[in-house]
Amino acid sequence: MNAALDGVDDPFLEAAGQALRAAGDGPDPLTALGWWDLLPDLGDRDVRAAALALFRAHGRELSSSVALGALLAQPFRASAPAAPGTLVATIASSAPGRGARLLVVGDVRGKVLLIDRPGHGADLVAASDLELRPLAPAGGLAIHEVPVGGVEPDRSARLGVIAEREAAPARVRARFLGRLAVAWEILGAAESALALAVTYAGHREQFGRPIGTFQAVRHLLAWARTDCAALGSVAALATSLDELAPARYDEVVKALAGRNGRRICEQALQVLGAVGFTTEHRHHAYHGRVLALDALLGSSAELTHGLGAWVRETGTDPSVPAATLWSSPDRS
Amino acid sequence: MSHFVSPEDPLRDDQPAYAAAFEGWLAAGPAAFRDAARPIVSSERRAAATRELMRTLFDDGWSRYGWPTPAGGLGGDIMHRAAMWEALARHGLPTMAMFEHLEILAPTLVAMGRPAFVAQVLPTFLRGQECWSQGFSEPDAGSDLASLRTRAVPIDGGHVITGRKIWTSWAGYARWCLVLARTGSVEDRHRGLTAFAVDLRSPGVEVRAIGQANGTDELAEVTFDGVPVGPDRVIGDLGGGWRVAMHILSHERGTFAWFRHCLLQGYLSGALETGSPAGAPEFGSPAGDGALGQAVLDLAAVRAASYAGLRAQAADAPLGVRAPFVKLLLCAAERSLNDWVLESDPTLALGVGDDHAAVAWQEYLFSRIVTVYGGSQQMQLDTIAKQVLRLP
Repeated sequence: MNAALDGVDDPFLEAAGQALRAAGDGPDPLTALGWWDLLPDLGDRDVRAAALALFRAHGRELSSSVALGALLAQPFRASAPAAPGTLVATIASSAPGRGARLLVVGDVRGKVLLIDRPGHGADLVAASDLELRPLAPAGGLAIHEVPVGGVEPDRSARLGVIAEREAAPARVRARFLGRLAVAWEILGAAESALALAVTYAGHREQFGRPIGTFQAVRHLLAWARTDCAALGSVAALATSLDELAPARYDEVVKALAGRNGRRICEQALQVLGAVGFTTEHRHHAYHGRVLALDALLGSSAELTHGLGAWVRETGTDPSVPAATLWSSPDRS
Repeated sequence: MSHFVSPEDPLRDDQPAYAAAFEGWLAAGPAAFRDAARPIVSSERRAAATRELMRTLFDDGWSRYGWPTPAGGLGGDIMHRAAMWEALARHGLPTMAMFEHLEILAPTLVAMGRPAFVAQVLPTFLRGQECWSQGFSEPDAGSDLASLRTRAVPIDGGHVITGRKIWTSWAGYARWCLVLARTGSVEDRHRGLTAFAVDLRSPGVEVRAIGQANGTDELAEVTFDGVPVGPDRVIGDLGGGWRVAMHILSHERGTFAWFRHCLLQGYLSGALETGSPAGAPEFGSPAGDGALGQAVLDLAAVRAASYAGLRAQAADAPLGVRAPFVKLLLCAAERSLNDWVLESDPTLALGVGDDHAAVAWQEYLFSRIVTVYGGSQQMQLDTIAKQVLRLP
């Protein structure tokens, strides 16, 4: 696209983008990419980076798959009797006055759904046994609500049950991976929104010259690009550190992603002007995708406030310890 | 620890081992460190305590790692320096004071200075005996550095410098000033510049301290009236001053963020642990948790980005286009952290409280101007717009 998009030297990001664009009625892009084969080896840094690059590509292409749910389910796999490529976790969501909801992302037909019940283990349910209700957020995120009845299936409808003592550690790991994945997807969508605005600023003329020559416009875009760089740096460090990352670093990554992703889209919209707010322009799709993703696995507002409270109450230094950085395996 | 340069030195060759050993040294609570880690309002007393710490760090060998042996160091790279200052900050050192130029100017001196001169001045800088200042800005050349007018006229055996520099950080404490002067014509812009190391004790030099609005006095105006400078004091090539300036600014905007953000991180931890900066038993309240969370995010961003910059530097990869991002992220973190501090205790502005509170107020005020120092925020944004986004 253009200079606002970096990471073009990342071969897996490129490959993922191509596979997603080629999908259509063709083969499942996750299978075509060999993405499922990466899941058992997420402990390997390069494998992990490749598996997560898919999400950035999802953001750029505004495509959807069951990858997020599959990633969230992966830490439960050891205790879940399901064939490879079939287990997909639901995502809990709640808001004051709206109660708790369960969501699934992507086309889960034929999949086994993992319904996590913090404090009570996790259930495995066949997706075909549930009536899924489609939601339609902007940005093409294929998301379904699992009806309340589906949350409490008959014991007989369950394919399996995972005990809490096994589910508890898996849940923590799943949340880390899931937040990281959503952060990468937010980056992909936001940087694409920025790329559109940069291209537009290069050819849209007012007062006889491209608006990208005006400093006020240039600075909006440069701030947005800085927000991309910040998010990219933090997400890359978290991806590299993985389990070496300090407590609640997944919250830092996700909170930063939501905040920066929204800011990037807002600056891009300001540069695009009114056309950016129309359905004739693609901006709203990227912007909508970012907003929808901010609502999954902890919003920026909620996580940011929670981090502040935790740091204040416990006096914890939330940063990645220097000793971890000095001994991290990716030191060149 | 050994002070001689040996072919095999585990602390030089194994940076995590160096970091762990230094941690052990700090944990023992050396007196020079304890003195420098106290809140000190007076600039002069702050300078004296920091000089004493630098002397101890040098004499015990720690600060010599990360610098090449021909220049008086013990070898290793920037990761050693990053580890030393990170540990000092985490254990409560509030500032690098005038030694922040160790990470802004010294890498350029080492890379571009005459070897014999560097071997003479780097150890005295590291040991806290002779500090350096940076003579770039002039009354009529701020962001537009290439329009500077201080002249260096060739004479037999060197040059004679005449002109005026302003906003020269730490010149009041410095023995040396790295002066960017015009050896070509004004029309040559950035092509007609040369960098010189000028001894501020030379006849013809006048240093006037400028008080800052936060009560510190790190800035000065320096006047040069026919000051002779020998050829060994040229840094880089004659006419190559712009390259020297860009090398310095890439450090000031790129890798320096690591060092500065460590101090911010330490400041946050100190506030939460001891109830400083306000000197109160507890600091912060639920009402400020959102602001504190924002500071946590901004600190995380500058830490990740500047760590990547350190690694690029250690691998000799160009810092290039990374620098303006890191500089902007550092400023954002410095501001949001201090936003939280002031929101948590608005009475800092009234001057109530102890030395902790007074230093917190100095820090808050300083955080309002960091978006100007080292290249204004607008210039960083211009650079990104042009060099990264390639806007028309």
